[in-house]
Amino acid sequence: MTIRILLAVVLGIAVGFFAFPAFLVPHMGLMINIGLWLLLFFVGIDIGRQKDILEKIKKMGVKVLLVPMMIGVGSIVGTMLMGLIIKMPLKEAGAIGAGFGWYTLSAIELSKHSAELGTLAFVTNVSREVIALVTIPLIAKYIGKVESIAPAGATAMDTTLPIISRATDGTVAIISFITGVALSTMVPILVPLIMSL
Amino acid sequence: MDILIYLLILLAGAFLGSKDQLKLPLMNRTSEAQTFALLFLLFIMGVKIGIDKEIIYSFSRIGLQGFLLALSSVIFSVLGVKMISNRVLRVKEGQVEDDN
Repeated sequence: MTIRILLAVVLGIAVGFFAFPAFLVPHMGLMINIGLWLLLFFVGIDIGRQKDILEKIKKMGVKVLLVPMMIGVGSIVGTMLMGLIIKMPLKEAGAIGAGFGWYTLSAIELSKHSAELGTLAFVTNVSREVIALVTIPLIAKYIGKVESIAPAGATAMDTTLPIISRATDGTVAIISFITGVALSTMVPILVPLIMSL
Repeated sequence: MDILIYLLILLAGAFLGSKDQLKLPLMNRTSEAQTFALLFLLFIMGVKIGIDKEIIYSFSRIGLQGFLLALSSVIFSVLGVKMISNRVLRVKEGQVEDDN
């Protein structure tokens, strides 16, 4: 699956770069949305097929929120440590990490500080999404199902949710959705907050 | 707003999925249909990146920097979740084990 995912993305980039018909460009957003809605519908069906899911989630209770919390902390710490290595201001590195893969919002927010920082936030968070697409099936297989939500970050509720759902099970898909919602809510709060420190 | 749409779609799917009588005609095809839809979506997402020359230019300039930051945040996220995943799933593993 990982190879097919990578091929689809790379092929898409190549077609977009060299040959995508211009008249289709205005419809891209709609095409992505329809594809996404369709996939989320399938994820919903998978969830509905497992009868005891709600019971499981109820038993986990608020502990489920540990997942987005640890992803949030890990993301910010991770970019800060890398920031130290590549010699960029810690605050900026941390703020980029707090984009959690939501590249449009983090880029817009950080371009208020400088165009360069906004671009780096964009590139970093696009990279995160691509890394997530490729590594989720591998992490689910070799490290753990819940761990496979981690690379997804804020996208765990939409673009990467179908991949997580396929690589794991209905319970993890619900944890993933909750994680994505929690992290997405934190992006517009944390990015400016870290920059103001 | 998007979150609400996603939630409604998931709930609609879950409702249909929970109806046993609908299982046979539709469910056997979901896996194939899902793979196709997923690869198509990823392809279009790729197109969206490729079509924007600005993005491609940015990647050639600061792509390595961005990639390293992303990689490090992914690694530490996974480590973070690894630390607590047993705690989150303990209930599941202890009391309602059979998942699939």
